Amino acid sequence: MSTFDATGSDARRPFTGRRARPGDLLLQGVAALAALGATVLVVLIAYKVVDGARLSLSTFGLGFLTHTVWDPVHGRFGAAEFLGDTALTSIGALVLATPLALGIALFLTELAPRWVRGPVTALVETLAAIPSVVIGLWGILVLGPVMRDHVIPALHSVLGFIPLFGPASTGSTVFTAIIVLTIMILPIVSSISRELFLGVPAELKEAAFGLGATRWEVVRGVMFPYARGGVAAAMILGLGRAVGEAIAVAQVIGAFDNGFSWNLGNPGDTLAAKIALDYQGATTKLEISSLFYLGVILLVFSLVVNLLAQWIVRRVSRRQGLAR
Amino acid sequence: MPKHGMIVRTSLVLVAAALVSGLAVNAAGAAGKKHHVRLSGTLNGAGSSLIAPAIQAMWSPDFKAKGVTVNYASVGSGAGIAQITARTVDFGASDAPMTGAQAAACKGCVQIPWALTSTSVVVNVPGVHQGQLHLTGGVVAKIYLGQITKWNDPAIKALNPGLSLPDLKITVAHRSDGSGDTYAFTNYLHKVSAPWRHQVGYATSVNWPVGVGGKGNSGVAAVIGSTPGSIGYVSVAYVLQNHLTLAKMKNASGKYTLPTIKSIESAAQLVKAHKIPANNAISITDAPKTKNKKYANAYPLATFTYIIVPKKSPQAALIKAWINFAMSAPEQKRIQKLVFAPMPKVVVDAAKKTLKKIHS
Amino acid sequence: MSTFESSPSPLTRPQDRLRRRRATSRGMELLAWLAAAIAVAILGVVVYSVARRGASQLNLDLITKAPVPFAIGNVKQGLANAFVGSLVLVALAAAMALPVGILVAIYLNEFAPGPVKSAVSLVLDVLNGIPSIVIAIFVFGLLVVGHGQSGLAGSFALATLMLPLVARATMEVLALVPDSLREASLGLGVPRWRTTLSIVLPQTIGGVITGAVLAVARIAGETAPLLFTSSIVGNAVEWNPTKALQSVPVAIWELSESPTPADHARAWAAALVLLLFILCASLGARWLASRSRRKLGRATR
Repeated sequence: MSTFDATGSDARRPFTGRRARPGDLLLQGVAALAALGATVLVVLIAYKVVDGARLSLSTFGLGFLTHTVWDPVHGRFGAAEFLGDTALTSIGALVLATPLALGIALFLTELAPRWVRGPVTALVETLAAIPSVVIGLWGILVLGPVMRDHVIPALHSVLGFIPLFGPASTGSTVFTAIIVLTIMILPIVSSISRELFLGVPAELKEAAFGLGATRWEVVRGVMFPYARGGVAAAMILGLGRAVGEAIAVAQVIGAFDNGFSWNLGNPGDTLAAKIALDYQGATTKLEISSLFYLGVILLVFSLVVNLLAQWIVRRVSRRQGLAR
Repeated sequence: MPKHGMIVRTSLVLVAAALVSGLAVNAAGAAGKKHHVRLSGTLNGAGSSLIAPAIQAMWSPDFKAKGVTVNYASVGSGAGIAQITARTVDFGASDAPMTGAQAAACKGCVQIPWALTSTSVVVNVPGVHQGQLHLTGGVVAKIYLGQITKWNDPAIKALNPGLSLPDLKITVAHRSDGSGDTYAFTNYLHKVSAPWRHQVGYATSVNWPVGVGGKGNSGVAAVIGSTPGSIGYVSVAYVLQNHLTLAKMKNASGKYTLPTIKSIESAAQLVKAHKIPANNAISITDAPKTKNKKYANAYPLATFTYIIVPKKSPQAALIKAWINFAMSAPEQKRIQKLVFAPMPKVVVDAAKKTLKKIHS
Repeated sequence: MSTFESSPSPLTRPQDRLRRRRATSRGMELLAWLAAAIAVAILGVVVYSVARRGASQLNLDLITKAPVPFAIGNVKQGLANAFVGSLVLVALAAAMALPVGILVAIYLNEFAPGPVKSAVSLVLDVLNGIPSIVIAIFVFGLLVVGHGQSGLAGSFALATLMLPLVARATMEVLALVPDSLREASLGLGVPRWRTTLSIVLPQTIGGVITGAVLAVARIAGETAPLLFTSSIVGNAVEWNPTKALQSVPVAIWELSESPTPADHARAWAAALVLLLFILCASLGARWLASRSRRKLGRATR
């Protein structure tokens, strides 16, 4: 996404050695103030969220991350179950979305007739524009019943020996959340991959074709290695989106907080969904603070995701810069 | 016609004036106008979804006719308490009385019981119709503890000899938001089941051993409606609106009862005057055993529902007028359509007494 | 396993191997086709669901009539408060985020020294990556506690989401403006601030509008930032942003868990309107973008 365009553009340096006029200073000052404001905003967000979590941080410490109990009656809170379900849903979505996204990207760069490319690219990007609450609405009213009555029973009867594919009794399941998240991150991963594939130098591909490689061999031997780092960054950004999504997940996952289960047919709860559903109704200071703690986890995770993606992109673009 | 409209409007103003004059003297005095008390302004409230039908469909439109807009968000009782504590609203509504800690955090709030109704146990079992299924608190507790998992479990069969129960997995539904229905329901289980008491306890949100969460009464009703084999607890008004199937619950007197105005009123009548504490927290779940035939049908999940307001508030006059309006005989009568029962006189008196504490 | 050097195996003739390699390639091509088909199908199914269920409810009542909760009987109702609220919220958010976002971009592209530029760019990326639910609790703590919910708090939360989008989009187009243009202008003695505002910025206007439209489309569908900042609302239409305003996404969120089909129907209809708005906006933006890029491209040449 944006991370790419950022580092891709050449830095256009401002002009130096000219006498500054009052107007120049004013514009520069106001603009710098805006940039400072954006920076302060981020710091303020981090401060406010960590500050809100202070009570829970001091009460539970890092043990919060490993405790599975969320018990407002007895004032014991832990994030382990949400961490587990968040990992399950977002990694599950990534596992489903990545091959699909790569397939779409290959289709759009290598296979599709020219007249198909534009419309399909637009359609896939349209998918990214659908608001999460609309996908959640669809998830709860259309997808959920289908998952409960058809998809999960079918998978259970065929793959039931794997703990992931247990039975389901409602449509509000971890699996439904995975599908919803897959839909949401698919366009992210596919549009970045598409751009990466488009960036593969034609000479490289032509050379491989010239050596008698089949199309798949060119993809595997030339394009994938070339785009590998970028695809990894795209996946990480997709993961970040999946982990942070609160609304659509809260609508379909069924808000079950008591213990992690590998069965995708069970309801569950993620970090973000828990905040969305419980924040307004949390009545004790410790519970509110613990919800902020969940926010801190999300914040730290989003920070790591972004820095990691940046780092990968920078490394890749430097390497490719050298290769060219 | 215009004349008629005029009369109606004048009489409305008169009613409003009569209603308010006794109660909003402070405001009127402050405003320096002793006559022509015409209410105006906006009140924002949030909380209980149990009371939401009464507020949104009846009280608020009626009060609007008197010049006051009441915005109410049905976000759950937990949120009602939390939002008034954070002072993001003018009033909170909760079916659960505040705990000591919550009351302390709310800093000078009072809670006033202003309506009486019930949450109720509903099921979606193929072949089982309205009021056919008999359940006890103990069995419901076992279902919610995950110890009874099938509808044809011997424990359920024993209560329902005449009913053919399917070999179907029980899907437990509960609230995902902090809820007064949850409070009343878990408070009941807490009273009737020792394992529940030890393992879970009661509050507006608890650590559910099993089940799937729904947002608000609507959310749980939606889960029940769409999931064969499900059981849940839903406010009576929503049961009615969504044609859900009620189970009969066994009360302390040994009778299987449905939530009706009569059976809810009975539960409340068993509250004795001296039992109303200063903070108005009144629990009428699992109403005590009685020899009085009139009240033997008491429904065990009945609950008062409260409005929570700060004692001192710039909106004090409006808030007082609003509570008085809601508790007025015609408005209480009106919400009987939504299965709200008349409140016992002792409770109304306690409410009136508390109301006097509110000032600007 | 390297793809290119294939060690000849004594058991397979080269022709067979070639055939197998071609078959693999075909298979993979097929899978890629399939992936694209699935993606388009998913979009189709979602949009079709929304359109089919929403279209029957799509009438003027939806945007002109207020909702009537717990209506008894067949009452004509809509979501007028939500549409009006969304309009106000999004307009205010745009009014906050657009100037700041554009100024940030101007600073980074025209003034900032290299290290500052990359640092602030990173800050923008971080801001863009913060989950919207975290922004929601932040704004709740900052503006709502003790003051109550308001449209202003809600639109501030939306603006926080919008800011990095606008800044990023503006930076991209600013970077496309050729330096020769700036130099020519400065060479003619035009002060730098005027060069920036009246020579450079107008060149980018198409791109900036594109970015703005896309950002508006994005925040118009955001639920999480409004959940704790502007959701305790009445059913009457409200224009005043100092009061809490209903919005289309929050209305859909509330109706989606309702047990009543009539509520679902309104949720679908509202979703359809929202979707149509977003689709029109992004298609419009796409068209604008290609137009302005062509123009900028010509200027560069």
